[in-house]
Amino acid sequence: MSKYILRRALGLIPTMFIIVTICFFFIRLAPGGPFSREKKIPPQIMKNIEAKYHLDEPLAVQYIRYLGDVVRGDLGPSYKYKDYDVNFYIGRSLPVSLILGSLSLLIAVLFGMIAGMLSSLRQNTWIDYLSMSVAVVGISVPLFVIGPVLMYIFAMKLNILPVAGWIDEKGFKALIIPVVTLSLPYFATIARLSRASFLESLRSDYVRTAKAKGLKTSVIMFKHVLKGASLPVVSYLGPAFSGIITGSIVIEQIFRIPGLGRHFVQSAFNRDYTMIMGTVIVYSLILVIMNFIVDVVYGYLDPRISYK
Amino acid sequence: MTDTKTNNSKVVLNEFNQAVKGVSLWQDAWRRLKKNRMAMFGLWTIIFYSLISLLAPLLPIHSYKQQVLEHQFLKPSLRPAGELMFERQDYLIRALAAKEGRSELNAAETDRLAELKASIDTETKVLLTGEEVLVHYRVYPLGTDSLGRDLLARIIYGGQVSILIGLLGAVTAVLIGVVLGSLSGYIGGTFDSLMMRFVDIMYSLPYMLLVIIFMAVFGRAIQNLFFALAIVSWLTVARVVRGQIISLKNSEYVEAAKSSGAGTGRIVFRHLIPNTAGVIIVYTTLLIPSFIMLEAFLSFLGLGVQAPFASWGVLIQDGVYAMTTYPWLLLFPAGAMTLFLFSMNFLGDGLRDAMDPQSKNKL
Repeated sequence: MSKYILRRALGLIPTMFIIVTICFFFIRLAPGGPFSREKKIPPQIMKNIEAKYHLDEPLAVQYIRYLGDVVRGDLGPSYKYKDYDVNFYIGRSLPVSLILGSLSLLIAVLFGMIAGMLSSLRQNTWIDYLSMSVAVVGISVPLFVIGPVLMYIFAMKLNILPVAGWIDEKGFKALIIPVVTLSLPYFATIARLSRASFLESLRSDYVRTAKAKGLKTSVIMFKHVLKGASLPVVSYLGPAFSGIITGSIVIEQIFRIPGLGRHFVQSAFNRDYTMIMGTVIVYSLILVIMNFIVDVVYGYLDPRISYK
Repeated sequence: MTDTKTNNSKVVLNEFNQAVKGVSLWQDAWRRLKKNRMAMFGLWTIIFYSLISLLAPLLPIHSYKQQVLEHQFLKPSLRPAGELMFERQDYLIRALAAKEGRSELNAAETDRLAELKASIDTETKVLLTGEEVLVHYRVYPLGTDSLGRDLLARIIYGGQVSILIGLLGAVTAVLIGVVLGSLSGYIGGTFDSLMMRFVDIMYSLPYMLLVIIFMAVFGRAIQNLFFALAIVSWLTVARVVRGQIISLKNSEYVEAAKSSGAGTGRIVFRHLIPNTAGVIIVYTTLLIPSFIMLEAFLSFLGLGVQAPFASWGVLIQDGVYAMTTYPWLLLFPAGAMTLFLFSMNFLGDGLRDAMDPQSKNKL
């Protein structure tokens, strides 16, 4: 097992390397540099700017230089903002996005599993219908519709929650609408997934044996069914996390949350190359690490997986 | 799946001497689909949307890019625009008068209202189509946006763009995915492992971020959007088709085809792919809403379809900024889009259950 984990962890390095490489050349391919949109600059000054950011060197040298910097944990200076470097902006906004994303995922998993469990135990009752209807809404209605509608109802009409902003100025109430909105699609998928797998486990022989032994429903559910039935949910966590990352970009935009997503969109518009690269690298790192954790947890839960 | 073809030349009889009519996979699936009420609802809604989008130029609606600046932010109503405009002006002037403590309007204000009333009946405007109309007699059933454009027309034409992107994107993704997935599954060996390695790497990329960068860097044209979405979305299709092909490639009919001298191309495209058609169709129906969502997502960030064209995402984005005072600008486009996505998802789920009854209760 530990050998498998180690090998899997070492496997992260080439993946990250490929991501950095693709991003680097992908962005350099683009027509127009980061400074080409501003008003006409005299060629000498342009040359100085390019020299300052090492843009006058051959592409291969730039690439190696960038790779070296990234390995040392330096994401370089921002092309747009002169005061601080990329590390500063990412360091400031990453915690915000992490709180938003992990809280949403936690809520989605917790409530999704509960909803799935309840509706599998009480199949075809109002609990089942209610949670599955919420799930259908969550899957079909996009985030950027749910968010503004919730904002309209709870913040503008009922006036009980803040319209936008973040914890630092609005308090923890500011978390409620963004987190609910971001978690809804994943709650929906997890509820449907876990309902199906709970139903499957409930019909299996070992559960029948447990019932025949006269065990309580709660013991059967938590000791026997839960472990097997949570496998599909665990394997869905990887895609869910990447979805949460993309979703949080929109949520940060709607609710004006000063997170990584806002920097990402802003820098994509500004052609702030180092900033784009920095955010993509951070996002990919989170994603890759999450996938790694999911794999390890999955292997731990399912002894049938072989570690070859 | 393979033995559904019946021999039509000879009537087959069962033990009660009744003629047995063969039921093909498709008839069977259709029968099951018809029983699924939500799926049929989805199917009819989609047919309705498609008809509206196709017939949009023939429908008696305004142009989606005709701006009438005096008509901005009119509320949804079946009454002519002039009346609504007059009411709004009347209300504003009276509110102003009330604020100044007068119960009667002064002469200048009455004059202004009278002038407005007269202009409503007479003022004409040459539209983009070249015809001259009494502009204030236009009716906007769903209201107007910030530039005085008809929201109904914008939703219909926006739907055209959104559905087209969904359809084209899904078809491209399915084409690439089916060809690469089936070849990879059938040929196997080094080709297969290389392909799957590649797919794995692509999976671990945060591809939506790459799409966003692509759109921001290469410009926001519709064809770029379409390209960016198509290159990242064939992965799942390729995986699923590969799995299907691997499970089918050792069946007898493939061996029969091989022994009668059929080549790889013929076996894959004439024998194996038709037998995975059910899965492929289900995936296509489920891909269309996800493409529409992706496009709307990009448009929402300002990276999608550009003016004067609209898509549902663009309309929702406009709506979000105006929703405090003009909620219909958000509610109608969001409603139109949500209904379509709902229907598409219901139809997709229904099709999956109909084509593969064993998959019930699976996501």
